[in-house]
Amino acid sequence: MGGLEKKKYERGSATNYITRNKARKKLQLSLPDFRRLCILKGIYPHEPKHKKKVNKGSTAPRTFYLLKDIKFLLHEPIVNKFRDYKVFVRKLRKAYGKSEWNTVERLKDNKPAYKLDHIIKERYPTFIDALRDLDDALSMCFLFSTFPRTGKCHVQVIQLCRRLTVEFLNYIIASRSLRKVFLSIKGIYYEAEVLGQPIVWITPYAFSHNHPTDVDYRVMATFTEFYTTLLGFVNFRLYQTLNLHYPPKLEGPGDKDSKDQDEGAYAMDSESCLEKLSALSASLARVMVPVTEEEVEMDEFPADGENAEQEEGLRKEREAQEMHKKLFEGLKFFLNREVPREALAFIIRSFGGDVSWDKSVCIGATYSENEPSITHHIVDRPTQPNPVLGRYYVQPQWVFDSVNARLRLPVEEYFPGVLLPPHLSPFVTEKEGDYVPPEKQKLLALQRGETPGYVNESEDEDSEEDEEGESDDQEEEEEEEEGSEKEEEVKLKVMEEQRTQGKKVGVTMGTLKLEDKHRLEQEEANEAKRLAIMTMKKREKYLYDKIMFGKRRKVREANKLAQKRKAHDEAVKAEKKKNKKARRA
Amino acid sequence: MKKATWRPARRRQPEVRVWVSGSPPDIRCRKYDLRSFCNMVGGRGPKRDAGDSGFLGFRSGSVDPGTVRRRRRGPRNKKRGWRRLAEEPLGQEVDTFLEDVRLQERATGGLLSETPDENLFFVDKGRGEEDSKIKQDLKKSFWIDRVLESNSKVPSPKNILAHQVPNGKKLKRKQRLWEHLAQQGKQPREVRKAQARLLQPPTPKTPPSDPADRPFYDLWAQDNPLDRPLVGQDTFFLEQTKKKGVKRPRRLQTKPSQAPAVEVIPSGGSYNPSFQAHQALLQEAHEVELQRQKVEEKLSRQLAFPTVDKAPTQESAFKELCEGLLEESDEETPAEPGDGDADGPAPRPPGPEKKTEQQRRREKEARKLKAQQAAERAARKRRQEVFQLRGIRLQVAQRLTELARRRERRRLKRLAEDEKPRRLGRLKYQAPDIDVQLSTELADSLRKLKPEGSILRDRFKSFQRRNMIEPRERARFKRKYKVKLVEKRAFREMQL
Repeated sequence: MGGLEKKKYERGSATNYITRNKARKKLQLSLPDFRRLCILKGIYPHEPKHKKKVNKGSTAPRTFYLLKDIKFLLHEPIVNKFRDYKVFVRKLRKAYGKSEWNTVERLKDNKPAYKLDHIIKERYPTFIDALRDLDDALSMCFLFSTFPRTGKCHVQVIQLCRRLTVEFLNYIIASRSLRKVFLSIKGIYYEAEVLGQPIVWITPYAFSHNHPTDVDYRVMATFTEFYTTLLGFVNFRLYQTLNLHYPPKLEGPGDKDSKDQDEGAYAMDSESCLEKLSALSASLARVMVPVTEEEVEMDEFPADGENAEQEEGLRKEREAQEMHKKLFEGLKFFLNREVPREALAFIIRSFGGDVSWDKSVCIGATYSENEPSITHHIVDRPTQPNPVLGRYYVQPQWVFDSVNARLRLPVEEYFPGVLLPPHLSPFVTEKEGDYVPPEKQKLLALQRGETPGYVNESEDEDSEEDEEGESDDQEEEEEEEEGSEKEEEVKLKVMEEQRTQGKKVGVTMGTLKLEDKHRLEQEEANEAKRLAIMTMKKREKYLYDKIMFGKRRKVREANKLAQKRKAHDEAVKAEKKKNKKARRA
Repeated sequence: MKKATWRPARRRQPEVRVWVSGSPPDIRCRKYDLRSFCNMVGGRGPKRDAGDSGFLGFRSGSVDPGTVRRRRRGPRNKKRGWRRLAEEPLGQEVDTFLEDVRLQERATGGLLSETPDENLFFVDKGRGEEDSKIKQDLKKSFWIDRVLESNSKVPSPKNILAHQVPNGKKLKRKQRLWEHLAQQGKQPREVRKAQARLLQPPTPKTPPSDPADRPFYDLWAQDNPLDRPLVGQDTFFLEQTKKKGVKRPRRLQTKPSQAPAVEVIPSGGSYNPSFQAHQALLQEAHEVELQRQKVEEKLSRQLAFPTVDKAPTQESAFKELCEGLLEESDEETPAEPGDGDADGPAPRPPGPEKKTEQQRRREKEARKLKAQQAAERAARKRRQEVFQLRGIRLQVAQRLTELARRRERRRLKRLAEDEKPRRLGRLKYQAPDIDVQLSTELADSLRKLKPEGSILRDRFKSFQRRNMIEPRERARFKRKYKVKLVEKRAFREMQL
């Protein structure tokens, strides 16, 4: 009773939100400027919970921002720069209209420019924050660096993106932090681990552009503007962590003069440095040469129970990773001209291999095709005109699959002209009970160090396993241990049988009844489980049954898929045989 | 004067061609007295008056107006007078005369009567050897050129403006002034400036800063150039002078969506996929397509025009119009006769009988007793509850678990909601098509691979999916007014 009447929409969520147009007016910016500001500052629209309340009773779909966000934007110094730019454009237009060329020149010299450094610092207070957001930055920069220079965006932006991406690739090579590669129909996915952060990015294939019309290029350009700044700072910091020169310098400046001649054919002096960098064939110069590569010893903690196992696992993982980093060390590759040079050069170099190509393909070739020490020659044509002895001719997929399998795969399946095994995605991890395709099973077996049964699978070709049983000795040892346990069990059983067969009445020496602790434990666990199931409440029982049913269904489906696959394989094989017979006949 | 303007002389050319002195010699021409011929054409030759000025006209009816006999006078306010005026309007002779004069000037360069005879006549020597047809053809310039040539003998007037200098007087005066000043050793400003520039050449301009060569520094180091000016200053001073900048709210450190920045394509999208994975991806894409088709079909079904047998007939349309009207009347008709005679207000249904005082009292007492008993029972029960502690505890526990379960369910629901892209504007987010290659399209080697889809669109959609930008459609050009189609009389569409 009494008091002032409460008005609607003057409190609560209606006052927490602001529509886009109102925000724009509050900031005195045009819509494109407002959009740009929001992207740069990382302020995104917000969907209110109760639209009608926020929208003052109307249900029209609108874009809302949080009022506090907009108030925060009011303090941004860049807003003033945007306004300045607007004035600058107006003055310039006027000067053009009056043909006052002096004024035009003067205005252009004093064009208002802004820097994004403080925004980067604000949005990413620590370096790790910046690394976590690098996925987007890399993907955008790689994308923009492959754009044709046809006026869809500024040429400077394209060049900048190209330079930054090349720098980043060089860092990955220098730090050997590439982990996974996946060739998809869209582009190539990479995963690297930089300072403990997994970073995934996608690069388009060369010359694969169609410019879609439903994409707002202005928005994308704004994102790129921000991300190039970010990537520039990240690159600098990353180069510093490895003591590399920034801007990057190539190693071995001694023979600079000798090379100058053939460089001239590729690029102008101003561009040759970047071109050579982007060839990815030479390593980078360091600020100071490291004295010795000292192995970083991990701290050893006194082992206790649970931790011991964990630590063991961690240690193994670390060792495997070290092995992975040196995957191609000591190998010399030569790329034929039909294979994607940049991707392969990047991958081979980031696993320690040497790589070269024909001199006419690209700048930066280090050795020619006739080099006798070449171990792998990568070709993508069914036949090789004049093969050289002493090197493997393989298809490019061998490199990618080896990287993903973390070991050098047998080369037989990747010979030129041979039907390739499927290229599996390394980003997919199968859970327990999922269907595992036979190719992956084979791969897992190879990783475990077993020689898989693919010898009997490919009966017609008598393939030899001459390569790479390389894997962790640890795992093998473990298996041996397991094997010895089993043997003991078998012996015991035999002894028992002998004992029971020769039944003689009499008293013999009492033997110590060996209680199989392991089995007992298992039985106990089983019993406990059964009891637990029995004592379950109805509702829980129902849930439990459901879960178990789901699991069984998963297994059933996996089996079904496996059978299907078997049938498919057999059909393919039968056809192959038939073809072969037909050819022979 | 109106008629004296230039007219294409070409039309009359055949009459003139033989007399022109500049005409090629091969043109046939007899020796005639042209003057008499002209007058013959004019038809007035023999009737020459005493005051003859000697004018020769090209055309019939062009006579020196001075020689013409005076006009017949007559009343002009009569019909006969008007007719005469219509036949030979006033000043017609002057008009034709002047026109003829201009024509002669154009065609021959002067009046025929004043041209000497040598220019008008020549001796016809007959057909020469050079007269052959072929040579003639060779010499002839193209017709199209001849048409465009000016064949007027009157020279074109000079462009006077070309020789005039605007503001000439003023400039001359200025020049004189500067000459005078130069004698005194004073020079204009431009000259002085140029000399000064010669003595002190300006420093070459620094090219506009390229974003590529920005200075490098470690943004996250302790003393970066960004924070350096602020180090060691009084915080209050910095705040008051707005040099410090506002701290970014913590709310903004979280991302608007949990979705990963780069979503890796499923295994079936490999360039050389395994059979199963590829089939799975195809199946997925197929289902999406099926759903889309379903929606489309539904729409077309709903919008389809009904066929003849389903179309509403007149009868059904009328029935639809009367829907609800007829039934009411059906119901009312039987009720009407009964209601007809009861016109007054409907009698109220008889209510319950009034209670006596005694009844009220008893009821009240009963109620009181009941309440008392209930209170007693409740008190007793409360006293007994001490012994039911276990049960109560169980109930509480049950209640708590129930609440926890609900909370969990709410949380899960919220998480599931977070996964979905939000509605940020007028349009809803639409998931992009699944990029897939059919088994026939798959390349058998990396060399022959044809990339599918566009990464640019992919990135753009990813930003939308992660609620970073609102979905928009491209602004289309919209005309403010309707286009009006007008057929001009000059070119009309041919109706055949």
